[in-house]
Amino acid sequence: MISIIPRKRELKLRQTILRGVYEDNLRIIGKEHDTVLGKVPFTFKKMFLFFSVALLATLGQGNYLNLPLFQERQMTASLTTQKSFLLPAQDPGSPSGYGAFFKIPDQESFLLPAEDLVSPSGYKAFLNLPKSSLSRVFGLEVKTIMIDPGHGGSASGSIGKMGTKEKDITLDIAKRLRDRLKKYGKYNVMMTRENDISVPLNKRVELARSSKTDLFVSVHINYLPSRPINIIETYYFGPSSDDKTLRLAEHENSGSRYGLSDFKEIIEKIGDTLKYQESKALAASIQKNLFLNIKKQDVNVQNFGVKRAPFLVLLGVDVPAVLAEVSCLSNREEEIELNTESYRENIAHYLEAGILDYLNKGEVSYEAKRR
Amino acid sequence: MKQKEDNISFVGIDLGTSRSSICASNGTREWFESYVGWPKDFISLKVMGKPVLFGEEALKNRLSLDICRPLEHGIIKEGIDRSEEAVREIIKHLIERARPAPEQKIYAVVGVPADTLKTNKLAIRKAVSEFVHSLMVVSEPFAVAYGMNLLNNALVIDIGAGTTDFCIMHGSIPTEEDQKTILTAGDYIDDQLYSYLNEKYPNSKFNKNMVRQFKEQYSFAGKIPGNISVEIPVDGKPVMHDITNEIKRACESILPALIETTTEMIARFDPEFQVKIKNNVVLAGGGSLIRGIREYLQDALKEYGPCTIMRVDDPLFAGSDGALKLAQDMPTKYWEPL
Repeated sequence: MISIIPRKRELKLRQTILRGVYEDNLRIIGKEHDTVLGKVPFTFKKMFLFFSVALLATLGQGNYLNLPLFQERQMTASLTTQKSFLLPAQDPGSPSGYGAFFKIPDQESFLLPAEDLVSPSGYKAFLNLPKSSLSRVFGLEVKTIMIDPGHGGSASGSIGKMGTKEKDITLDIAKRLRDRLKKYGKYNVMMTRENDISVPLNKRVELARSSKTDLFVSVHINYLPSRPINIIETYYFGPSSDDKTLRLAEHENSGSRYGLSDFKEIIEKIGDTLKYQESKALAASIQKNLFLNIKKQDVNVQNFGVKRAPFLVLLGVDVPAVLAEVSCLSNREEEIELNTESYRENIAHYLEAGILDYLNKGEVSYEAKRR
Repeated sequence: MKQKEDNISFVGIDLGTSRSSICASNGTREWFESYVGWPKDFISLKVMGKPVLFGEEALKNRLSLDICRPLEHGIIKEGIDRSEEAVREIIKHLIERARPAPEQKIYAVVGVPADTLKTNKLAIRKAVSEFVHSLMVVSEPFAVAYGMNLLNNALVIDIGAGTTDFCIMHGSIPTEEDQKTILTAGDYIDDQLYSYLNEKYPNSKFNKNMVRQFKEQYSFAGKIPGNISVEIPVDGKPVMHDITNEIKRACESILPALIETTTEMIARFDPEFQVKIKNNVVLAGGGSLIRGIREYLQDALKEYGPCTIMRVDDPLFAGSDGALKLAQDMPTKYWEPL
């Protein structure tokens, strides 16, 4: 049974292993070397995809594409100025202007004004209706909810200083969210992965499509190595000119396994008004619930709001889809909190509240809030 | 490599879903089932005569206790069902049983289910740190491998209660890619057996505890060793029930996932190493005690080439023995004060 290893070699092996155990445990208490902070390295393929997305976003902002969505941009801008609940425009990286936040009751307040400018032409009449949503107009119901825990398997996502992996935390939160939503008995709740396995983005999209998902929520955790802050932000698909957002999209899109030939086809789907409108509302609801509740425990948490970003996983899914960055693993205190079951349960609870708020359109108080 | 420090007591702890054990440098070896119970009210406290009960004693008196099995499914459930408190009580009780001298410092290596390490690292440290002076946490199958000197080209399959953990050793500390956890383990067998027996004997009264005892006493896979009959009350009268096929079906229900994971893990290695690993597979944990499981797996894996599977001699203490060996081998400079 025991390998025949010369004594000297065995001693050396043992020393290597013991040192490994020591370093592993140092990592747990946060006393580790910078080398562990493994972010996914840039590869040629990812760079290529990143620049494609960046180019698209830039063209989108500058009205160079002849897509209905972008043609409509200026016209809609004049319409949106009527919305009094929008926050003043500011740099997403500087959250100082969120002081007046708690005075605004409507989830519209979680939308940054720049994010509200784009809307497709074919559905202008619907968009002009105050507080209307196409899903309500057509009486559409949500039956199947797909929860997508970010990363998995060999793709660890971000790794905190104590060795906490994004993929483990997102999976844990997603499972808790699934269990919470299942308790209502009226939703078919599914997950893109239930174990620590790699699932390419295109497979996640395929899964959502084949299971006729009505709502898609992707759970991720942010990582800001240069800033020791904790932020919460929620994304839905759309072009963005913000460098940080594009970098994040590049990171989250890695390993998508989409070919460039697929890209034209999927970009044309941007004009899907129903999805766009509902995704925005869902993102706002989730962001509001996450931020307001986490703020009660962590006064320093910063609201980076609801944003558009070119995440492929959101684009490929045909139904309302959002990507929530529920915490920030580069923040040491936050990493400690994420290692506690109660905090992960709380985050799942706030996501549940955000989803139910969206589904109930704020009309009905739901059980989650009373618990 | 062992350190000679008289003022230090080294302990190796295996914090398992089903059983927890401790091995200490003073020679103590103790274990109990990972159940913790607190009297429900002052009457039960008076009847029990102590504030906390453990293992078999807690199970026997479960009707009077708030009972907790803290590592169910391999994770600590903080803030829920008093799981965190239960882990603390288990560690405290284990260390008390190891009887270190009052002036001695306790340096502990704790082995936990591999999945526990992923999201509960701090919770485990917090629970253990109250009772020890320095601490290292490792995964259970790794502790087993280290204890058995399986440092290179070996695969340890630790079939526990909540999880089955796989760990490939290749001359360094196993990375996450070298370890895998699946949820088909002892508790899964219990659930299956419970459902098969209820299906076959709907009028008989079973409970999960009885089913677990049947499994522990009679479990087998592959060739039927003979008829298995147990006495179960029906309408208050004890009646003999044949449970041979149900035991076989339940025990074998975990094997497809186990075989698939084993082949998948080995296949990731270079073919030259695959052969070496396939001839150095070791079964550990309570599940390795299932009669015929070693032969069953060996036969199933032969389809992929020659394969040799062994079983640890003492599944109950293999984890804590390995953890103790790690503690004793660990250079003094690596022990950080808590």
